[in-house]
Amino acid sequence: MATQAVTLTVNGTKHTVNVDPSTPLLWVLRDALGLTGTKYGCGIEACGACTVLVGGGAEKSCEMSVQDASGQNITTIEGLAATPMHKVQLAWIAEQVPQCGYCQSGMILKAVELLQQTKTPTDAQISAAMSNLCVCGTYQRVRAAIHRAAAM
Amino acid sequence: MNQIVSRRFFLSATAAMGGGLMVGISFSNTALAAAGSTVNVWVTIAPDESVTILSSGAEMGQGVLSSMPQIIAEELLVDWTKVKTGAAPSGSQYLNPVTHSQSTGGSNNIRSWFKPLLTIGAATREMLVSAAAQSWGVPVSQCKAVQGAVINTATNATLTYGALASVASTLPVPTSPAVLSSAGSYKLIGQPVARPDIPSKTDGSAIFGIDVRVPGMIYAAIKHPPVFGSTVNAITSTPAGAKSVNVGNAVVVTGATTWDAFRNAKSTQVSWTVPAGNSSASSSTILAKATALLKNGPTTPAETIGDVKAGLAAAAKQINVTYTLPFVPHACMEVLNCTASVTATSCEIWAPTQGADANLRTAIALTGLSAAQITIHPVLMGGGLGRKFEQDFISQAILASKALGAPVHLTWSREEDFSNDFYRPMAVCSVNAGIDASGAITAWNNRIISPSVMMRMFPAYVKNGLDTVAVAGAVALPYKMGSRYVDYANVPSPVPVGFWRSVGESVNNFVLESAIDELAALAGKDPYAYRAAQLSDARALGVLKAVAGMIGWSTKPATGHARGIAVSEGFGSYIAIAIEMTAATASTVTVTRVCAAVDCGTVVNPDTVVAQIQGGVVHGFSSALWGNTPISGGAAQLRNFDNYALTRMGNMPHIDVQIVNTPGAPLGGIGEVGVPAVAPALANAYFALTGKRLRGLPLKIVTPIYGDD
Ligand code: FES
Ligand code: FES
Repeated sequence: MATQAVTLTVNGTKHTVNVDPSTPLLWVLRDALGLTGTKYGCGIEACGACTVLVGGGAEKSCEMSVQDASGQNITTIEGLAATPMHKVQLAWIAEQVPQCGYCQSGMILKAVELLQQTKTPTDAQISAAMSNLCVCGTYQRVRAAIHRAAAM
Repeated sequence: MNQIVSRRFFLSATAAMGGGLMVGISFSNTALAAAGSTVNVWVTIAPDESVTILSSGAEMGQGVLSSMPQIIAEELLVDWTKVKTGAAPSGSQYLNPVTHSQSTGGSNNIRSWFKPLLTIGAATREMLVSAAAQSWGVPVSQCKAVQGAVINTATNATLTYGALASVASTLPVPTSPAVLSSAGSYKLIGQPVARPDIPSKTDGSAIFGIDVRVPGMIYAAIKHPPVFGSTVNAITSTPAGAKSVNVGNAVVVTGATTWDAFRNAKSTQVSWTVPAGNSSASSSTILAKATALLKNGPTTPAETIGDVKAGLAAAAKQINVTYTLPFVPHACMEVLNCTASVTATSCEIWAPTQGADANLRTAIALTGLSAAQITIHPVLMGGGLGRKFEQDFISQAILASKALGAPVHLTWSREEDFSNDFYRPMAVCSVNAGIDASGAITAWNNRIISPSVMMRMFPAYVKNGLDTVAVAGAVALPYKMGSRYVDYANVPSPVPVGFWRSVGESVNNFVLESAIDELAALAGKDPYAYRAAQLSDARALGVLKAVAGMIGWSTKPATGHARGIAVSEGFGSYIAIAIEMTAATASTVTVTRVCAAVDCGTVVNPDTVVAQIQGGVVHGFSSALWGNTPISGGAAQLRNFDNYALTRMGNMPHIDVQIVNTPGAPLGGIGEVGVPAVAPALANAYFALTGKRLRGLPLKIVTPIYGDD
């Protein structure tokens, strides 16, 4: 596994990392850049815990290679959390959504994308878009927080 | 119902470590507080008036980081918006006063700690009041604490807690502080306060075990044997650039990143020593063994009341039915992981753990160091569900760090996590019960055959072969029954079994509440009315009535819809769940509504109670509908979330939760309470909808969603 210098822009900052270029973006964020807010849940695009925004759209970072991510604008939960907080985060706090919190970075970024595409999503649209897994079962509050954020 | 069969008692396997409550209270000095340092205490007050209150419970989503400090804050008399919370390190001050252990499980933290925490809050407040009296040179009786300050009642002068903290920290801890609050007068307890840990869980700053980064650490992954119970014979090849460590039950393999380590672990070649017979174990061979025990025994009695044979002989009608439940994985959202740093004179551990003091014992055993040389750092858990009591992942990281001479950050891949779980035990349970002409239960004969968790983990607490955890929820039932006989047998198998959110209750309540439903049908009665008539416990009846009101049981559901109901008692709390469903086609059910009424006695944070019931119901859904670990070739045939269904938003209807208050009722647990009654309520609703009785889990009546790809 030959390493190679790969440049990528995360939360507005350019980074150059020396990694195997086939390394998934998830693990470059977590293990090379120390941005641990993005979580590993499955590694096979089946849970959504690793969701980040790539060029504004929600992507699962566990199966996107760092090479494919280079040259794109990547936003992680740490980047969304600039002061003041994003309205989705504020809605999340108001609804007291997280339990363990592990899935929530992915949930929030997926919700950000949904609200960019659909200003006032219906319950059915929320169910269709939000397939992220939450073993703690916060779904009802996620739904309420999305409605709240839509109204903000 | 008075007897609460609980896991509390065995968690005190190390009762020798401490008895009674040691109230550890001191205050940080100004410099430390300003720097935000954590000191080994409960309460820290900073000059800016922020109050940091620690929780000795391990946070896995259940809100204990907030609810324990909320109890202290009640007596301390502080404004909740000034309160920050944190996790206590391990230490004798933090041992649970009932279990004498710093473990989090059995839904027992708040139950055990409620009174001691009030006392700790009161003692802290009295120290602040004494400090103020000293500053003013007046008697303590002339000083009174109000929100965050002490007032001189003669002069109306005030000193804030922030100004008093450093003097207070030098004073002796009062031996019998006066608790001022009482049930009915609580100001903070019972309020739906915001959890202080939540903002950090929306901005990525919360640190879970998997997020721990320490200088010089090496990323590592695990490779387990392909058959349960096997051990490493030899590591035959390790990929270039990686290191491998034989940790006995597995091999730890390093990498440049966690992903690289996953890849290296997969390609490491290992020869294994497989115990004789293990590779032939399968779901069907274990079921066959259990079924033979169900028929022929031998078993151990768990409860005998009256003469069940005579009761059956006198019955007008009988049921004689068998229920079957599979092994179920935990599948915590955060995979197992542990960071360990072992040197010749020290050992530090950062792990998502429900058993901090068990980790300490593990570290002592594996390193030969003394307790004083070992530090267990608290971190958040991305779910625990009982899995994070276990020591396997802790041991592996310690051994790897020792061997590699560097800190090791071990992460299991999801595939390793699924296939090397300590699963909820499978079970085969029979019920032979009789009713008289009025429907009253004359005899209840319930036999439970299930692999024993207690025999593996706490054999000293198993008397005469009876696993009290395995029969929890099957004895001391809230129903009037003329006679009862409940017995149990362990069915040994190579499949590891462990505690799983609500343990015995989640198995036995499916059996109990399905069978009660069958008796109702046999008696020709409405399932709600039948339960209401047969229940002997007032609190069980209370939640049953409440949930019937919530779902509108007295009004018929819409055409094509049907309802099921179930009630459970456990962890000192009561819950009734009613579910409404409809079916577009015979095989695809849509659950349209869930109502839950819960009575957990005194409520600390009602919003947390509601959240735990919402989450418990979702967890109950997942396990009832799809939870299953197929076993073949002596291994779990589970890999990842693409072939393991769990509830997702699109499957989950609205859940209404109502808290029922029984005045004066003792405090109950809440973390596990939401789970057990879901499975029978689903099966009972399905029976009402289709006339078909489902006696095996998983029910598989709802089409799962696996994700959007
Ligand atoms: S870790 Fe990427 S979807 Fe699960
Ligand atoms: S909050 Fe725990 S998995 Fe979603």
